[in-house]
Amino acid sequence: MDGFLLVLWLVRILFLALLYLFLFRVVRALMRDLRAASQSAIAELGRLLVLASPGDDPPAGAVFALDAITSLGRDVNNSIVVEDPFASAEHAVLTFRGRDWYLEDLGSTNGTYVNGNLVEGVAPLGFGDEIQIGQVRLRLERARR
Amino acid sequence: MSDDDRDDARDDALPAPAPREVAARGAPPNLPRILGSVRPRARWLELRLLLVVAAGLVVGSVSLGATVRGRPADGVPLLDPEVWMPHDTVALGIYLGVLFAGHAAQVLAGRRSDQVLLPAVGLLGGISLLLMERLPQDRVGSGFFGAEGLGQVQLVWLVLALVVATTVAITVRSDSWLRRYKYTWAAAGIGLLLLTFAFGSDVGGQRLTLTIGPFSGQPSELLKVILVVFLAGYLSENRALLVEQDTKLGPLRLPPLPYLAPMAAMWAIALGIVVIQRDLGAALLFFGVFLLLLYAATARISLVVLGLAAFFAGSAILANLFSHIGTRIAIWIDPFADPLGAGYQVVQSLHAFARGGLLGMGFGNGLPLVGGRVPIPEVHTDFPLAALGEELGLIGVMAILGVYLVIIERGLRIAAAAADEFRGLLATGLALVVGIQAFIIAAGNLKLLPLTGVTLPFISYGGSSLLANGVVIGLLLAISDKGVEPPPPPRETGWRRFLRRRDP
Repeated sequence: MDGFLLVLWLVRILFLALLYLFLFRVVRALMRDLRAASQSAIAELGRLLVLASPGDDPPAGAVFALDAITSLGRDVNNSIVVEDPFASAEHAVLTFRGRDWYLEDLGSTNGTYVNGNLVEGVAPLGFGDEIQIGQVRLRLERARR
Repeated sequence: MSDDDRDDARDDALPAPAPREVAARGAPPNLPRILGSVRPRARWLELRLLLVVAAGLVVGSVSLGATVRGRPADGVPLLDPEVWMPHDTVALGIYLGVLFAGHAAQVLAGRRSDQVLLPAVGLLGGISLLLMERLPQDRVGSGFFGAEGLGQVQLVWLVLALVVATTVAITVRSDSWLRRYKYTWAAAGIGLLLLTFAFGSDVGGQRLTLTIGPFSGQPSELLKVILVVFLAGYLSENRALLVEQDTKLGPLRLPPLPYLAPMAAMWAIALGIVVIQRDLGAALLFFGVFLLLLYAATARISLVVLGLAAFFAGSAILANLFSHIGTRIAIWIDPFADPLGAGYQVVQSLHAFARGGLLGMGFGNGLPLVGGRVPIPEVHTDFPLAALGEELGLIGVMAILGVYLVIIERGLRIAAAAADEFRGLLATGLALVVGIQAFIIAAGNLKLLPLTGVTLPFISYGGSSLLANGVVIGLLLAISDKGVEPPPPPRETGWRRFLRRRDP
């Protein structure tokens, strides 16, 4: 084998090696990214942002980190206490099952609304949807990564 | 991705359900402000990956140049720079310049978007440039900006696609124009489809090309982007209703009947494309994206099973009614039945992969000319993977398919971190449309699926394909930006919206 062909062959192999170097560096970055995401995912499943609250308890703009089960109502034993004259003591419960959020009305006097629709029994919920309990409006948001 | 993400994760560590005021999320001061309120932000990961891409493309170009120029004359020293020049230094320089300019523009605009997509697309585009420079140049006439021949015209389209992707990534700060006008987009898409049905010109038995004045293009490439935008809007709004089950069909439990209508419409459109446009590939692509997005939105496998069954039943009937579909399937089952006629391209493609072997024959060394022509007539549009398989071998093809997987992974990751359903479904759809298209044509080249005339994204020759995929990448980058405008509140659908006092 002469020198020209040998060098040319090495150049070709170098090209293929650089393709794999690129893939290796990308995959390493992706793994790091996924690991960081999986660690922060344990902290919270989602969050509730208070959009409007006439009684200022909870204050508008407050953010609640959510567990798998979050109860809402006027009673102090709820995970999120909604201090509003139109909210019932045990008003509603927000649950995360499998991959979806569900909002259940617990027979409240004035009802629970999702995007302006009255919840009858259980309603599936997506990120970005608005919940209304009494006069308090909350938005379900994805946990920030 | 890397440094930014860790900072954000830290400032988001929340105490359990105690209320907290939302803190202003200030940018860490790493670079001084210029251009008024815009603060540049370094993107080190992207820069590092782009440097690897640039090194790879230069080496590939050297390999191509040395192969094409052939053995140096006697007396020329072995390591003479003339022998080891890149194949077309100017074209490669222009391409890499635009790639780094796209990076620089995003740094200057201070975007915190995904840093892997641009290098991945840049690598595929660069390989496309090398491949087109190496094929016979007379396949196309002249293009814009005085470009002559396949390589130069492809360079112009690649540059335009990168410019489009970067421009979309930087300028799109809000998705409300996509979200709010989804039915307008759907109407525009159907209008485009009908225009192609009525006025499209037939090329090779397929009605794909629409010519308006001096412009001609393949509307199905643009249509796939519109389809994803519409489906993301429709499914995110009606997801709750689609998950409900109140229609029973034997063992299958289906959503309420009115919400099945759009699916029936999609099925009819897909089959219409097959019949009127004779474009099996686009039909497969549209219907595949539709079913996967439906699954992503509802997590109901029964809908996917039903859709696939309906599609295969429709295709089976059509294959018996229309000869061109039957021919495609006959070629797929046994291309060697008529190796010089109907099965010619597929047979040549399989031979090309076989000649490539494990390490390939090297850039510029494959595709021996038969009577002054390459053995595969449509190698630059339909069979670029066969050419790459011959010249780069199994190893090279695996790497290229790996880059497509990386693009899909990034899209799905962007979807998983998106702020709401619409953006999540949009990112999923945009990533899958690239991935499914690459799969359909790669599988066609390898005789895994019937051969269909879709392009290999970012590699095939063709302006429509490159520009549409540029828009796809631009939108993915725009959605992934952490500073993008928060999604608008959902549209209220109940009667109580009429009683609501407007918030100040």
